[in-house]
Amino acid sequence: MLRSKQKAAAEAIAANVSALPVDGRSPWRDARERFLRNKAAVVSLVILALITLACIFGPMLLSHSYEDTDWEAMSLAPTMLNGHYFGTDELGRDLLVRCLIGGRISLMVGLLATIASVTIGIVWGATAGFLGGKVDTLMMRIVDMMYAVPYLLIAILMVTLLGREFYLVVLTITVFSWMDMARVVRGQTLSIKSKEYIEAARAIGVSTSSIIFRHVVPNLLGIVVIYTTVTVPGVILTESVLSFLGLGVQEPMTSWGVLIEDGTGVMETTPWILLFPAAMLSITLYCANYIGDGMRDALDPKDR
Amino acid sequence: MWSYAFRRVLMTIPTLLLVITVCYLMLHATPGGPFDSERKISAAVLANLQAKYHLDLPLWQQYLYYLKSLLQGDLGASFRYADWSVNDLVANALPVSLAIGGGSLLLSVFIGVGLGIIAALRQNSIVDYLVMLIGNLGSAFPSFIIGPVLIMIFAIWLKVSPAGGWNDFQISYMVLPMALLTFINISTIGRVMRGSLIEVLNSNFIRTAKAKGLPMSTIVFRHSLKPALMPVVSVLGPLAISSITSAVVTESVFSLPGLGKLIVNGAANRDYTLVLGLVVLVTVVAVVLNLLVDLAYALLDPKIRY
Amino acid sequence: MKKTMTFSVVAASVALALAAPVALAAKVPAGVQLDAKQELVRNNGSEAESLDPALAESVGANNIARDLFEGLTATDADGKVVPGVAESWKQTDATTWVFKLRKNAKWSDGTAVTADDFVYGIRRFLDPKTASPYATTYGIFLVNGQEVAEGKKPVTEVGVKAIDKYTLELKTPYPVAFMPELVSNTQLGPAPKAAIEKYGKDWTKPGKLVGNGAFMLKDWLVNSKLVIEKNQNYWDKANVQLTKVTYLPVEDGFADVKLFQSGENDWVYQLPPGTYEKYKAELPKDIRNAPMLGLRYYSFNVKDPLLKDVRVRKALSMVIDRDILSSKITADGQVPAYSAIVRGTAGADVTTYDWAKWPMAQRVAEAKKLLAAAGVQPGTKIKFTYNTSEYHKKMAIFAASEWKSKLGLNTDMENMEFKVLLKKRHDGDYQIARNGWVADYNDATSFLALIQCGNDQNDNGNCNPKADELIKQGNLSKDPAKRKQLLTQATKMIMDDYPMLPLLQYTVPRLVKSYVGGYSTKNPMDRYRNKDLYIIKH
Repeated sequence: MLRSKQKAAAEAIAANVSALPVDGRSPWRDARERFLRNKAAVVSLVILALITLACIFGPMLLSHSYEDTDWEAMSLAPTMLNGHYFGTDELGRDLLVRCLIGGRISLMVGLLATIASVTIGIVWGATAGFLGGKVDTLMMRIVDMMYAVPYLLIAILMVTLLGREFYLVVLTITVFSWMDMARVVRGQTLSIKSKEYIEAARAIGVSTSSIIFRHVVPNLLGIVVIYTTVTVPGVILTESVLSFLGLGVQEPMTSWGVLIEDGTGVMETTPWILLFPAAMLSITLYCANYIGDGMRDALDPKDR
Repeated sequence: MWSYAFRRVLMTIPTLLLVITVCYLMLHATPGGPFDSERKISAAVLANLQAKYHLDLPLWQQYLYYLKSLLQGDLGASFRYADWSVNDLVANALPVSLAIGGGSLLLSVFIGVGLGIIAALRQNSIVDYLVMLIGNLGSAFPSFIIGPVLIMIFAIWLKVSPAGGWNDFQISYMVLPMALLTFINISTIGRVMRGSLIEVLNSNFIRTAKAKGLPMSTIVFRHSLKPALMPVVSVLGPLAISSITSAVVTESVFSLPGLGKLIVNGAANRDYTLVLGLVVLVTVVAVVLNLLVDLAYALLDPKIRY
Repeated sequence: MKKTMTFSVVAASVALALAAPVALAAKVPAGVQLDAKQELVRNNGSEAESLDPALAESVGANNIARDLFEGLTATDADGKVVPGVAESWKQTDATTWVFKLRKNAKWSDGTAVTADDFVYGIRRFLDPKTASPYATTYGIFLVNGQEVAEGKKPVTEVGVKAIDKYTLELKTPYPVAFMPELVSNTQLGPAPKAAIEKYGKDWTKPGKLVGNGAFMLKDWLVNSKLVIEKNQNYWDKANVQLTKVTYLPVEDGFADVKLFQSGENDWVYQLPPGTYEKYKAELPKDIRNAPMLGLRYYSFNVKDPLLKDVRVRKALSMVIDRDILSSKITADGQVPAYSAIVRGTAGADVTTYDWAKWPMAQRVAEAKKLLAAAGVQPGTKIKFTYNTSEYHKKMAIFAASEWKSKLGLNTDMENMEFKVLLKKRHDGDYQIARNGWVADYNDATSFLALIQCGNDQNDNGNCNPKADELIKQGNLSKDPAKRKQLLTQATKMIMDDYPMLPLLQYTVPRLVKSYVGGYSTKNPMDRYRNKDLYIIKH
């Protein structure tokens, strides 16, 4: 039902596309409307906002601290009685507070590493793809080289050499997260470059930089958004794999990855120690994915 | 195109040299050496060991020594696995990783593309959301949760699969690890496919096709699939590289003798020769895979010229 | 270990007694029905670094070495010394041991094991070209052993001699009472000269390896499995029940247990932290747990500005509640420890601290007084270094919490990779560091190495010359009782310097299928030869 209605609507739009006035609605309003059409994305956005707010303000409102151990209340099941709503971990620390504190770290890692790697990736890929020739070859060989290096090896060595400060973890992740974006952007740039309108722009003498920023980059938006939203969960997951390998943030500070890694060992005896952080992480990642799909649909340059 | 491919292969040599050098320096800069263990060995024994492995030479001489034997195809002797040469160890682990990683990638392409098509055609419907719910499993749960859960379900409760291990390419030992890697890969492939197909379906030439009244199946399979696959192809290279060379979580959860674990353990043990040998291998594998992807890209899009 | 260490001679009359060649291992108790299929799958915790007995260093590699090779003696499932290739031995004078080899001992290729094979094996073990990590650990017990390992004397100078084809003489630089146990280590065993010279470095590969143990190598796939089969040329093959044993190299504790539960593994190397109580309740027939000769402790860096004051070190040690640590935190049956020497160690008594019996409130009050006297204010920061591991992390958080809640000291926890920790510890670049030790042989000196002046294993930098003198006297003493008393006294003196913070004595909580017979929980060294094991009908 829903589908056929949408299809009909889409076809109607398609049919009338040439009849629409050129200066109709603003593209941003269009995008917002298309985004709102994706219910999963809208719901996800609300959930993600709630999780983020909880991680920021939750620890200030709760009575337990994230580092205080309680030998009388170890591996306590979730209870309403003494405020351990998520129960406690193996050392009697309140799991709810730890999940929220861990969320701060994981979300921050996700945000910072994504911003950094997406920026590097776009600039790198668009430049290489558009300039082509020797520059392209050299830049893409560097990307290949980055892929060729076993990233876990370098991550281990970097953490061992540099330490486990929060920003160093971000740096370690960024170093190996920008190449996907660079490759995809370059590929897309290559195909945009051979489009007629670019050739036309070139023919009438539009400068290279303005072609890149006026015509190439906006047309990249769709793919960039998809890839950004693949990068966010990817980066947060990478942090958890680093934790699995014992390279996570230092105790008593924690992250979702560290909490989950602790939880997997006791998943059969005290499952909530795994369940709560895993649920928070997975919900966040699912939300990020749905929002990504919604944004992609919304920003699709051809879907007008 | 062939001369392009040949030039790319030639480019491997400087790439390899640079990667080896960087890894070499980082490895040796990392504190702790191959012979540090809970029991501190005496100075005399340490001297014997260092002489045996040429660690008593200055660093640059060791480096040249390594390059020289590398030119002869000899990756040296492992520090950690004293009975084995690095060539042996790499030759043992590579087929395992290729089978698991390559097999799962093939599987992921079919499943991921299929899921992507379904989701794209039913955009914003319950089907779309559900397909992406399954498709995204691998990017919403860390593999070190999915793996143990697979083991619990299929090996402990249903008893239809071994809980891990490797038995000479016996398929039953490969199913669960491949399933885990497939979960991880389809989340990327499925999403990219969904996005790119939607984009293609909205493009002018498809609208024209629709306007002409062509059936949907023809539109999708005859006209949309090829352009929609291009972004998928461009992510295959990195996915293949990580599935084959960095499946360390999969390999530890399922106790597989693959490359990923060898690299991680090699770094932890400061097994300099083993790690460098693996770096050489991974570099070559990565360059080849990337080249294949670029060639596939050129085949799909005739506008791209090399 | 240092060369200056000496060992007492057991009273000559006792030492001259022959070891009884009866009571061999692998005897199946009457009434036990054996299974038709005598095959065992046993996880070994990690991949063996080498099958060459001279190069084997890790516990896992030595486990396999003891199946493929047999020394002059061996240890049974209870850890008792039993005859190996030697059927009898005697100490002919304070520093000379003579071993009579059995004439029916054969290599797996059918040739006889002779005294010359032992001479070759021991010389090869100590040869600097072999570069054995254990060369000096065991070398110091043979005349010129240390010098040979250091390359200062030719290998022919080492104190081992073939009197005739079946008689071997070992010369020690000082009396070594536990020689019969020491030579159960395959490092000091025979080596197959012909195979080694024929195949070179490759001699330990399947199809090439020649051994004299109860089993022979069938297959070895690195990081996957190692298969051994019963050696039909073994002299005591009638008492070997298992026909095939598969060693797994699984490191991940979770994977290990799952393989056990799915029936692909009969022997979990070590249970993952936090799971002992669960499996004890669920699999009471399979759970096995026994203390072994190992100590978990924290090293104090006595050269550190804060820790150079013994009162501070004492206070930090006093307030750690080992009972809670063992019963609630590790919860796997480990035993609280207050000494560098653990229970079951021969050659010294376990010492303890007076305050160990005090109620905790009194300990805390005393510790606060000590800190105040040392001028350490609450809020002072201490730095604790440990290596990445779930187990160490839990213990570290516990210790930090004890110091914080009881003394008001803030702990900065620094978690690092194992090799980095080792480097820092060996370099003395730490304040408090996690540490652990498992004895190489059952004698107090194996633990005293941790706290003796200038020993390689002494990471804390403490030195008590008076106690060192007592240890020297003890080792020269002819009377075992006297030696024991002196070593105990020395231990007590050093422990009162608080160079370390002893925490727990190791136990090995593991799952072994109930149908695996011959497993004993009285084996303090945790060494189980497959020769002693069998599969009960199930």
